[in-house]
Amino acid sequence: MSNYKKPVPIPSVESKPYWTGLKEGRLLIPKCGECGNFWFPPSLHCPHCNAANFSWEPSSGRGKVFSYVVFHRVYHPAFSEEVPYVVALIELEEGPRLISNLVEIKPDDVQCEMPVSVVFEKIANNMTLPKFRPAPLY
Amino acid sequence: MKQLRDKYAIVGTGKSRLGKVDGVTALGLIEEAVKAALDDAGLKNTDVDGLLIRGPDDIYCLHQLLGARLGVNAAFSSTLDNGGASQIMAVALAAMAIEAGLATTVVCAYGRDTWSRTNRGPNNERRDKREEPNMIPPSQRPVEHGPEFGFFGPVALHGLGARRHMFEYGTTREDFAAIAIAFREHARRNPEATMREPLDLATYMSARMIVDPFGLYDCSLVSDAAGAVVVTSAERARDLKAKPVLIKGFATFNNTKGWFLDDNMVTTAAAECSERAYKFAGVGPADIDCAQIYDCFTYMVLTQLEDYGFCKKGEGGAFVRSGALGLEGVLPTNTSGGQLSEAHVEGMLQIVEGARQLQGIYGPERQVKDAEIALVSGHGGNTICHSTLILGRA
Repeated sequence: MSNYKKPVPIPSVESKPYWTGLKEGRLLIPKCGECGNFWFPPSLHCPHCNAANFSWEPSSGRGKVFSYVVFHRVYHPAFSEEVPYVVALIELEEGPRLISNLVEIKPDDVQCEMPVSVVFEKIANNMTLPKFRPAPLY
Repeated sequence: MKQLRDKYAIVGTGKSRLGKVDGVTALGLIEEAVKAALDDAGLKNTDVDGLLIRGPDDIYCLHQLLGARLGVNAAFSSTLDNGGASQIMAVALAAMAIEAGLATTVVCAYGRDTWSRTNRGPNNERRDKREEPNMIPPSQRPVEHGPEFGFFGPVALHGLGARRHMFEYGTTREDFAAIAIAFREHARRNPEATMREPLDLATYMSARMIVDPFGLYDCSLVSDAAGAVVVTSAERARDLKAKPVLIKGFATFNNTKGWFLDDNMVTTAAAECSERAYKFAGVGPADIDCAQIYDCFTYMVLTQLEDYGFCKKGEGGAFVRSGALGLEGVLPTNTSGGQLSEAHVEGMLQIVEGARQLQGIYGPERQVKDAEIALVSGHGGNTICHSTLILGRA
């Protein structure tokens, strides 16, 4: 992993628990203590009701492809061997949408609304990324 | 708001050199465009008391630098920061500032040197290989929830919306092609346009993909260019040199909750913005004689045409394939070639084009016949900010 050349996320003060959760194999997302809604990306107050009271709860890791694109152009040299690769906007069962990659599927086979589930990809000792693979209907 | 309807006017328009302009900076291009707009209006620098400016995001207090070059102490001035929605916002702020008595004659301008920047190194030397055009300063680009997945840039961001629209409504790349081809046809009649070679469906389809569903011709140009307009009261406009163009109405609306939230990728901020602007101007979509729609990507034109009520949601594909956008179509759109084929100046040149169509200054090859009302849209902040300007013939 020492020759990992892709950008490594730089956690913010707000997102630190999210990245810590991933390192432990859990997809933790903020859940409002007042209205019960989830949100992403992490912030200090619930964007649904503006409450400050929230907790980090594990997502089921299940979701669907809300939309996706296929990169043909190399925007960063570390991806030059990967094109064409898929970047998808994943809608988690809990509601929030997040950007990720799809694995174990060819770009031509990807469709909107297809069910996916999270897999954890360790890229460094202290960094794990959430990626998604096709899942059976649930 | 409607008490401002037709009370203020655009009295001068200007463009800099467009395209690949060697040896000039964004600020220099803005200077060129402002000078042209003031000359058009028959005004001098000393007549200007307001400056609303936008340019590359890494130039601090751009309006102050421009003020120094223009030799103007501005009563009202700022650099705007709402992406491609800023330029119409500048015109709106100008009218409001004049109404409030803060200024009398406001210059609204935008310029960028994106082409030159991507070809020049830090010491102005020409690069062997172009850099990725990126007008967002490195310190402000995302460092999590994106780049680690290879997710970069506005092409992909808008592409996610395009794909979702294709899924929900059966929109196709042929629909997107109809937009690129219509605007190219307009650019071919515009001697200032950067891209004037013919474009057909086969060329569109065989071009390299950038971020699927967008290929080369779905993406707007990387340009060195600037545009400017001068705003003053309609009353004062009568005594000036150029034929004034009335500001009938404007609005802004921003889906600041986010592009990924709700239905924002397929029903954009233009939906709410257009309702407000139509109400302000006292017109509806059927009254619009020509449209200048913010075309950073082909798909954004298609979805905005729906959001503006020119056709129903989901019917944008059929609408653009009907020939609606041509000079003889039901809605001549981006009649200068737009950002896909004239030059990309974050919507500023589209305000210029909307105004000039209403002044009726063009020859028959590119003049929209009997144009009385023009609609201009601004979209930006990378997807979520929107502004609408409705102009009328004086």
